[in-house]
Amino acid sequence: MSELAVAIAELREDEVNRIVRQRIEAGVDPLALVEECREGMRLVGERHRTGDYFLGELIMSGEIFKNAMGFIEPLLKADRPVRPLARMVLGTAKGDIHNIGKDIAAMLLRAAGFEVFDAGIDVPPEVFVQKVRETGSTILGISGLLTTSFESMKQTVQALETAGLRGTVKVIVGGGIVNQMVQKYVGADACTDDAPEGIEICKRFVPG
Amino acid sequence: MEDNLETRINRLETVISLGTPDRVPSVPLIAQFALRYRGVPQSDGYRNPQTTNNALVETFDALGGWDGQLAANLIWVNSSWRISAAPMPMRVPGKQAGDHEPLQAVEMEIFSKEDYETIINRGWNGFLAEFLPRATGRPLEKIDATQKKLLKIYMDDVKTWHEKGVPVLSGATTCDPTMILSLSRTLSQFTLDLYRQPDMMQAVMDAMVDDLIQNVLDDTAATGLKYVFFPLERGSGFFYPLRIFERFGFPYIKKMADAFAGAGLISILHFDTDWTLNLPYLKDLPRGKCICELDSRTDIFKAKEILKGHMCIMGDVPATLLSLGTEEEVVNYCNKLHEVVGKDGGFILSTGCECPIDAKFENVKAMLATARSHTYPGHDK
Repeated sequence: MSELAVAIAELREDEVNRIVRQRIEAGVDPLALVEECREGMRLVGERHRTGDYFLGELIMSGEIFKNAMGFIEPLLKADRPVRPLARMVLGTAKGDIHNIGKDIAAMLLRAAGFEVFDAGIDVPPEVFVQKVRETGSTILGISGLLTTSFESMKQTVQALETAGLRGTVKVIVGGGIVNQMVQKYVGADACTDDAPEGIEICKRFVPG
Repeated sequence: MEDNLETRINRLETVISLGTPDRVPSVPLIAQFALRYRGVPQSDGYRNPQTTNNALVETFDALGGWDGQLAANLIWVNSSWRISAAPMPMRVPGKQAGDHEPLQAVEMEIFSKEDYETIINRGWNGFLAEFLPRATGRPLEKIDATQKKLLKIYMDDVKTWHEKGVPVLSGATTCDPTMILSLSRTLSQFTLDLYRQPDMMQAVMDAMVDDLIQNVLDDTAATGLKYVFFPLERGSGFFYPLRIFERFGFPYIKKMADAFAGAGLISILHFDTDWTLNLPYLKDLPRGKCICELDSRTDIFKAKEILKGHMCIMGDVPATLLSLGTEEEVVNYCNKLHEVVGKDGGFILSTGCECPIDAKFENVKAMLATARSHTYPGHDK
């Protein structure tokens, strides 16, 4: 594992910034740097799975990753873009303004290589459908922390069906009180109450 | 024998002091559900406290009653501008939210990093004296007058409940420094502050805690109610490793709970999110002087194993079960709570955090009925 990946995994913020700047000045391929940063984030995810890291470490690593990408992204050539694992829309259901879970999931998904279109909070079903269509996303993630969000999640899945998109779009619902009872009620493909687990589910949605 | 104020107080005090009463008591958090059940828009409830109180009393009667009101109405008690919780913005029904939507906290930065210096130099109350007028555009005298008006309404509603034979518990509301700072800075920014500048964050928390304690002592003296509603969420093992909790969480929770117990008060530790990892620490809090209230994400059965004989447990019928489950599923879950967590007393049945506004009426009724029917040996009906 590279020095950069290890520094990210160890949450050594100043060291990450120093290494990235030095490697850029040395003319290292920015695509290779992106891959090393992702490798570091994969290790962070692994440490979370084993109980060594917590949400706090995910937030800190996400900030470090974002700052590192701030140096690297301007150097990526337009004709050699980083190919996303998949495109997905993420948002909090109508009537619910909780954003913490959604924002952490978006950060982890981006670090894992997904192109995430954040629809925001309090998102009506028709806006979710419109966003999915506009972006050509194949995954929709709906977050909610209130029981009143369940009805809106269900209406969103129905709206996807009405729009003829349900066959090509996987739906995952997430939040602290979301479980299989909610997944069944809503008609989603998966559920989670844990952001890193949600990222693993989304990876399994990607064909091949 | 019909329940009255005395029998209900005795039942609650028995379980809090880890004894076995006649039956399991229940204390649901149910004001928002009561408004919806009575067909009252949430906005009316927040505009007119009397509307909320009427809805609560009618719902109490329709559901067959319970043993205590955590709070008399929708108000968080403060006897003055010296609040002991985060001064965070809310999305209020009828204002920022729709008439029928529940109240929700807005996750946004209301403190800047520069505000930490003021807290270190002036303490929590000194900071509030400078911050509240700046943030609200209102002088302290006006904020103080509003709090006193709300306190008067609260105490009027306390009287109504007591006349009905139902004790009201909360005489003050407080949070630990982690909860206040996380809500005021946002979870993400607070976490970055904590990991980047731990020494400064400890200094901020050290500067807050004595004022938080004193404010609660003042509030409970003003209300005459001896329970402290103490919401905790942001410092749990769901968010941070134990090394963080041991430095920035538990020392302050303990200092506050010890001070409250020393003043004859009971802390209702309202634990949202998963605190399973933190449960062993609670054995260092004063025995029989705190309630461990869980929202269904902490393992309540593990809590019983760890805290049996030390701390009363309250909870934790899941919101999702009350909204989407069947009556039979609710009864089965509650019976398991009574048999395992309620074994030998020390248990209060409650909703896991707030009863959802869209809970099924028959589910809530069935939940409360299980507490009334779960008698302890020697008290069989």
